[in-house]
Amino acid sequence: MALRLATRRMALAPQAFRRGMATAVETPASNLKETSDPNAKNKTFQIYRWNPDEPTSKPKMQSYTIDLNKTGPMMLDALIRIKNEVDPTLTFRRSCREGICGSCAMNIDGVNTLACLCRIPTDTTKESRIYPLPHTYVVKDLVPDMTQFYKQYKSIKPYLQRNTPPADGRENLQSKADRRKLDGLYECILCACCSTSCPSYWWNSEEYLGPAVLMQSYRWIADSRDEKTEQRKDDLNNSMSVYRCHTILNCSRTCPKGLNPGLAIAEIKKSLAFS
Amino acid sequence: MAALRTTVLRQVLAAPTQRTLVTSAMPMRFAAQKLAQRPAFSLQRAAFQTSARRSILPPLPQKVRGNVNDAAQIPDVDPTHGSYHWTAERIISVGLIPLTVAPFAAGSLSPLLDGTLCGLIILHTYLGFSSVITDYLPKWRVPLMRKLFDFANFLAVFVVGWGFYEFETNDVGITEAIKRIWTA
Repeated sequence: MALRLATRRMALAPQAFRRGMATAVETPASNLKETSDPNAKNKTFQIYRWNPDEPTSKPKMQSYTIDLNKTGPMMLDALIRIKNEVDPTLTFRRSCREGICGSCAMNIDGVNTLACLCRIPTDTTKESRIYPLPHTYVVKDLVPDMTQFYKQYKSIKPYLQRNTPPADGRENLQSKADRRKLDGLYECILCACCSTSCPSYWWNSEEYLGPAVLMQSYRWIADSRDEKTEQRKDDLNNSMSVYRCHTILNCSRTCPKGLNPGLAIAEIKKSLAFS
Repeated sequence: MAALRTTVLRQVLAAPTQRTLVTSAMPMRFAAQKLAQRPAFSLQRAAFQTSARRSILPPLPQKVRGNVNDAAQIPDVDPTHGSYHWTAERIISVGLIPLTVAPFAAGSLSPLLDGTLCGLIILHTYLGFSSVITDYLPKWRVPLMRKLFDFANFLAVFVVGWGFYEFETNDVGITEAIKRIWTA
């Protein structure tokens, strides 16, 4: 039945025209050895390419070979160099190049990480494979669509909610101990590396909030200044929002900022269980 | 938005144009170099998949509910399927540990202990399977299948419960059975 439903949808919209998840099917070789210098450390990068202007052509892996001696140490340096000097059509998001904006999140050699925080492996015999974040709708090449992620982030009301004015009339004060509870939570840059590494989020991103958004949700639940804690907890108390987390900890393993969304989700579950 | 896209795409389908798309904006010298270095088999085709093929419930085309700036909808409060469900799962799982060990440690058989163990095993599997069903059969996508599986899971409680009852009353019972298998 499930299968039949699915195929019926596909019959309406031809396969080739549906915006798909990251699944590449062919590899045209487009090597570009840029130098014949004997000291060159040529490294090949296999990069996922898909162009929305050509909806009939399937996503493909394109290989680029560049000299690491002339390239910066990070993956983002390599991508920028490829874009600048080899192929200007290569598309990816980047901004700060120092791991604080979260724009360049992508799947590099099988791990979701920020291209700017990921060193290029110096082993030139192995090629590096770069894909967009897994199980996202691809806008172009390495650019994933983040609409659902941001909509979910908005749904947890990520701002201070208070009914009473601050005691001194100016600031909402907090003890040092209370402030310390937010460490390891507020640093999240919402790059979506963790959410897109979570199988539960792959299957149920319509309803399950995913590790990144849940960690931010806990950041506001744990905040001593927030007065809508119970309301926040009620919003999560259903079968889908939190409880699709089965603690496999892909999120904590992949986080490029070294945070622990798995722990934050466990804290949410604990606070819901004993309230 | 989705409707617009399908119409546009249908037009594309109906009228295949001779448009040549220049994808490589490579400088000329690179292009010449590339031509010179092109290997004998210029087009290597390898069929590979980067992720497992999903023939069951493949991802649907993207559909944005409401405005892109709207917040995702918050479901109603439902602790029965939320926190109570989760807490029950944990309590039963933890409760099963002493119950599995107790009869062997005590070395005696008690029908009451056996009965509790059976009951908890049934509840444990019921909650476990219901979690799996919630994971893989989303209500919004396959509502009928979901209902069917939920019902089958609920039915299994009684069928398995009846089986355990027969086993306990007319046969040796679960603890004794495990003991015999262990020493066999």
